[in-house]
Amino acid sequence: MTAFVVRRLITALVSIVLASAVVFAAVLAVPGDPAAIILGVTASPEALSALRTQLGLDVPPVERYGRWLARLVRGDLGTSLQFQRPVADLVRDRLMLSVALALGAALVATSLAIPLGVLAAVRRGTWLDPLTVLASQLGAAVPSFWLGLLLIILFAVELRWLPAGGFPGWEAGPVAAFRALLLPVLALGLGQAAVMTRMTRAVLLDVLRQDYVRTARAKGLGSTSVIGKHALRNAMVTLVTMLGLSLTNVFIGSIVIEQVFALPGLGRLALSAIGNRDFPLVQGVVLLYAGTIVFVSFVVDVSYGWLDPRIRYA
Amino acid sequence: MQRHVRWLLSAVLTFGWAGCALAQQEGPTPGGSLVVAISADPPGWDPTLSTSQEIPRVTYGNVFEGLVRFDRHGTIVPALATAWTVSDDGLVWTFTLRDDVRFHDGSPLTVADVMAKFERARDPDSGHVNQQYYEAIASVESPDPSIVTFSLTRPNRSLLYNLARPDSIIYPAASAATQRSQPIGTGPFRFARYVEGSEVRLERFEDYWNPELPHLETVTFRIISDPNTRLAALQAGDIDLIGAAVPPEHVGVIDATPGLETHAGTATTEITVAMNNARPPFDDPRVRQAITHAIDKEAIVRGAFFGQGTVIGTHMTPAEPYYLDLTDLYAFDPERARALLAEAGYADGLSVTFELPEPYPFERRTGEVIAQQLREVGITVNLAVVEWGTWIQRIFLGADYDMTIIGHAEPRDINIYANPDYYFRYDNPRIAELLAEAEAARSAETELEAYQEIARIIAEDAVNVWVFSPANTVAVREGLRGFWIDQPTPAIDVTEVFWAP
Repeated sequence: MTAFVVRRLITALVSIVLASAVVFAAVLAVPGDPAAIILGVTASPEALSALRTQLGLDVPPVERYGRWLARLVRGDLGTSLQFQRPVADLVRDRLMLSVALALGAALVATSLAIPLGVLAAVRRGTWLDPLTVLASQLGAAVPSFWLGLLLIILFAVELRWLPAGGFPGWEAGPVAAFRALLLPVLALGLGQAAVMTRMTRAVLLDVLRQDYVRTARAKGLGSTSVIGKHALRNAMVTLVTMLGLSLTNVFIGSIVIEQVFALPGLGRLALSAIGNRDFPLVQGVVLLYAGTIVFVSFVVDVSYGWLDPRIRYA
Repeated sequence: MQRHVRWLLSAVLTFGWAGCALAQQEGPTPGGSLVVAISADPPGWDPTLSTSQEIPRVTYGNVFEGLVRFDRHGTIVPALATAWTVSDDGLVWTFTLRDDVRFHDGSPLTVADVMAKFERARDPDSGHVNQQYYEAIASVESPDPSIVTFSLTRPNRSLLYNLARPDSIIYPAASAATQRSQPIGTGPFRFARYVEGSEVRLERFEDYWNPELPHLETVTFRIISDPNTRLAALQAGDIDLIGAAVPPEHVGVIDATPGLETHAGTATTEITVAMNNARPPFDDPRVRQAITHAIDKEAIVRGAFFGQGTVIGTHMTPAEPYYLDLTDLYAFDPERARALLAEAGYADGLSVTFELPEPYPFERRTGEVIAQQLREVGITVNLAVVEWGTWIQRIFLGADYDMTIIGHAEPRDINIYANPDYYFRYDNPRIAELLAEAEAARSAETELEAYQEIARIIAEDAVNVWVFSPANTVAVREGLRGFWIDQPTPAIDVTEVFWAP
């Protein structure tokens, strides 16, 4: 098991470094000078060149990337060109929000999808199954930003139960944070729930057809035991993969949702950093995105090994 | 939302008082808070280090002040200086400072702060932007702790105007390095908190030199980039004021919402179709005139902006003192446009690339309509949307483009036509001569004539197409008083804002 974990860990690190190099190159390939964007359209050439030197933009790109990597090893992400604050600080504030949003959405998605998917599979042939399928098809078809706007119109503009967007900060207390995040979490989580319900149903239907389930039933086990102990456990590997994918999905999907709800999350930070050619900030944010995605798939990989001993030895 | 509950309560109480309260005068009431929407994070908070309009929108008049300032009508009024005089030859300007001004860090304003400011403003290594505003200043001296004199190399009529701009604010001499992240000014509000991407909070400054201002306790500027989200936040009661550029299509919705209202004011923005005057086919004035004739500006304002704007014919808006109506010079006339194109050798049509800046929806929308209008006179238009960083780099700084469209928001910036390296690549030495004449003018009439002459020459040369000046539409919650409706300079000045009782 240890060798398996170490192997996966090395792959993960290599992926992160590769991702940062690709992003560095991509941002460089797009025209645009951060100094020009900061100074605005009436800047003089002298002011431009002074600011470029001050921001360290006169250093050749490869050397800049090298310096960035060297600092990264020491745990230093550099300073944002636009905000003149350490990237680590900026990113830390934002990451909390994006993680809360993603976890909340994943929680909404799984707590709806697994019971509904199981129910639809078990009650196949009753009215419940087609209803679930229909609802989940509809849910999967609605884009999250549009669902977000509908939720805003209903709960913020019409009913005035919740704020239309923005985030008061964690220091405003858990209730205020919960109120601010409820609509975005739903907008992000419901679509994901729809996709996951369909997958849970399909996986479980497949497992329920297997011989060992028939054997278990033949032994006279109750249906709770058959589904809980035999069917669901064997469906677990697929369900965990799905959960990992959906976490990644909601994390990426949060970029759009943060824009719609004006939330100060990692996604909006990334968009503004790219727009302003704030290289250190783009690098820092992408590193975090890559890191999170790699971490999630690492956990998923390792949990396969734990759930299914056959994978460990493969 | 909480405020609504409070209002409801006070309404009930008022009724209980059997009309007593109705007789009350509607004067400024102190206290309360305000939430304002803005659209983007600025690149730091120091207006002397970046020309981004997002900085003065929050800080002008609220956090920072200069010797003089613009009021809501664009009139130059005293701020940190109580009075000023000019010598007869126009070469010495003398300002008297207020003696009761404190900065937000508690230190008093001194002449040393004022002198340090103008040292920075003229030092090419300081990073201070728009140094051309201070070019004519030869030296700044202080013969007395309350007097500052500017000695000029040449008469400079626009000096006072430039001293009122957001670039000319004064902060403590030693704080220049930290102003970007911790602004310290003399304004009625001090900078309390900034959460990037989320909000900026200003709090009432107790030691403000004018004891009657401000009225509000706190002002929060919420950063909401999406206009639809801004609208929803206003309707939901999360924000109280959208201080600039409400999209015209939202005006009807807001006016129909009980408790909300819009006000249409003026701004100094010219939505400009810029043409690369150095590059064929735009190096032929007939082509530029043809393009001007081909564009139906009225139809754009009516059709795409619900009538919320004024058609213009040169680089000046009716909100400015030198305004000259030249809209009839090359009026909409597709026949004339085709004839001019034929005369210029493009009888079989021509093909141009028209690039629209991604972050500006008004310009993009205008550009799309214009492309259609140009196609109708036989011009093939290749439309492309360019991202902002690219626009600045390639189009604005590199002048590598055919045609683009952008709003020139700065007030009094007709001087850009005197610079042959500006992205229009318009080279006419006469403009620089006239500008110098305007600066050296001994009377307001001569100055006005010189500016209007510039406006006329660039219009006759059809350097660009000046399409219209969009109205500055402000959306507010009912009961808010004292906000700016016009934008003589880009600013959401909340100094005099209060909630009606």
